[in-house]
Amino acid sequence: MNSIQTNGLTKVYSSAFGKKKVQALVDLHLGVPSGTIFGLLGPNGAGKTTLVKLLLGITFPTFGDATVLGERTANYKVKKRIGYLPENHKYPPYLTGGEVMNFFGKLSGLDGEYLNKKTDELLGLMNLSKWKKTKVKNYSKGMMQRLGLAQAMINDPELIFLDEPTDGVDPIGRKEIRDILIDLKKQSKTIFLNSHLLSEVELITDRVGILNKGKLITEGTVQELTEKKEEYFLRIEDDSKPFPEKIENITATKLDDGRYSLKVANTEDLNKMIDQLRADGIMIYELIKHKNTLEEMFISLIEESEKEGKQ
Amino acid sequence: MKNIMTVTWYTLKEAMARKVFIFYSIISILVIVFTAVILGVTNLDSIVNGFAGKNAAPMMADIVSKLEIAIIAPLASLGLLLAIFASSSFIPIMLEKGNIDLLLSKPVSRTQLLWGKYLGGILVVFINIALLIIGVWLSISIKFSIWTYPFLWSILIITFTFAVLYALIVLFGVLTKGSMLGMMFAYLIFLILSPLLKFAHGDMQTFITSGFWKGVIDTLYYIIPKTSELMSNTIGKLANGGGIENYEPIWTSFLFLAAMMGLSNYIFNKKDF
Repeated sequence: MNSIQTNGLTKVYSSAFGKKKVQALVDLHLGVPSGTIFGLLGPNGAGKTTLVKLLLGITFPTFGDATVLGERTANYKVKKRIGYLPENHKYPPYLTGGEVMNFFGKLSGLDGEYLNKKTDELLGLMNLSKWKKTKVKNYSKGMMQRLGLAQAMINDPELIFLDEPTDGVDPIGRKEIRDILIDLKKQSKTIFLNSHLLSEVELITDRVGILNKGKLITEGTVQELTEKKEEYFLRIEDDSKPFPEKIENITATKLDDGRYSLKVANTEDLNKMIDQLRADGIMIYELIKHKNTLEEMFISLIEESEKEGKQ
Repeated sequence: MKNIMTVTWYTLKEAMARKVFIFYSIISILVIVFTAVILGVTNLDSIVNGFAGKNAAPMMADIVSKLEIAIIAPLASLGLLLAIFASSSFIPIMLEKGNIDLLLSKPVSRTQLLWGKYLGGILVVFINIALLIIGVWLSISIKFSIWTYPFLWSILIITFTFAVLYALIVLFGVLTKGSMLGMMFAYLIFLILSPLLKFAHGDMQTFITSGFWKGVIDTLYYIIPKTSELMSNTIGKLANGGGIENYEPIWTSFLFLAAMMGLSNYIFNKKDF
């Protein structure tokens, strides 16, 4: 079952008199399975925040529709089961950390002893217990971010939207937040993560979507997206026979580290090559599929998308 | 209802965090203490008894009502001016990026949010005005043993006057996400338009011969809230111990309030953030 489902979701922003129109999101069809961490990537202005706002009913779609946890986004009551940490969130500066939790807890329908207990538990989890009675105007950026995450979890949500959750957080804090997210996933929560930090997304997400200029360019698991199809690295024994100069349907290039980069048309040709090498008495040490980093894949996809856009 | 009360309560906290409301409360307390001290050291009742003889009682009642108006009217007007200034940013602050996103991500309807903020603003003015009026009224009433209970209704009338102007501020706040225009229009109505229209519709009417201009003035008079009548005529009658004779300023102003809040609510529910 999908916690998030969009059907042709489109958002066009118009200027005051409708003269200028900006397409923030174009015909988006996306499904996020329950109990997974989904990372949405994209350059600035790609439409990532617009998508989250549409899913939360903060902004209204121009065309198409979406459901979260099986309910239409227009139904505000579904937000009892949702948590959200916006980018650049602001809390009333005159409130203390504890009061912020209390305020948003009450708005989420909680009250009394349960709310107090939950507040203490989450502030403890975020290492903010001793700052509970301090006004948030005295919090650092990292502390604000941790408080934001705590308030997003106050109602024990089934689905959590996080927009740049580790922004301004130090490396140790980031690791702690990552661990919390992994822990939430273990509790079968669905997490929708908007982040610029690709290395971080790579570490924790199950599925990734890439958005550019409002269009979903690709979507899949990190493994699927980073694997370079039909490209392999081969290492053979140094003093074995030399690598054949020509193998049918295979382009081999020797690399500086002694390995060979292979481009094959399909898996069948690859297997034929292995048979041939073994028949020639060449000892194969390793054969691994070429994998991009998420960053390399991201940049390459965005560049391709830009080129297509220009054509 | 619980959501509205939560937003109202936290708006009250927001107001209390602003120095201007505290400043007004301090002024109110100082005025109450000052009134009590001055009345305590003067022997006004024996002067009136000696001067008016048998007519002392009605004269005393008249003095009490005039005293109440003399103290309350300028302070209530100042209070309204300060309240307009201090509350005009409630809605724009709520609509700031990073704040409204969070609020709308909670299971609260937009209507509840807007009304919570609106009622919060009204509540803080109500508390301040009630403190001032009850304090002054008690000081005077205890001193002279004349208890003009109807005068206490002026707490509601002044709060209502603010509520009408605040509805306009809310509308401009929702429309522009800023506080300037709403504040300007509220001051324009309170300080210029309402007194001017009251004058043009009343004393000046016999001098206006053009049917067209008469129509324009009448239309504007009924559209623009009658804050001037609410503040002067109604409170004057209440201080004299009489009831409200003319309800027209109340219901026409209420219609204005309803129109402003209805429009604000409609726009707020349609707006992208």
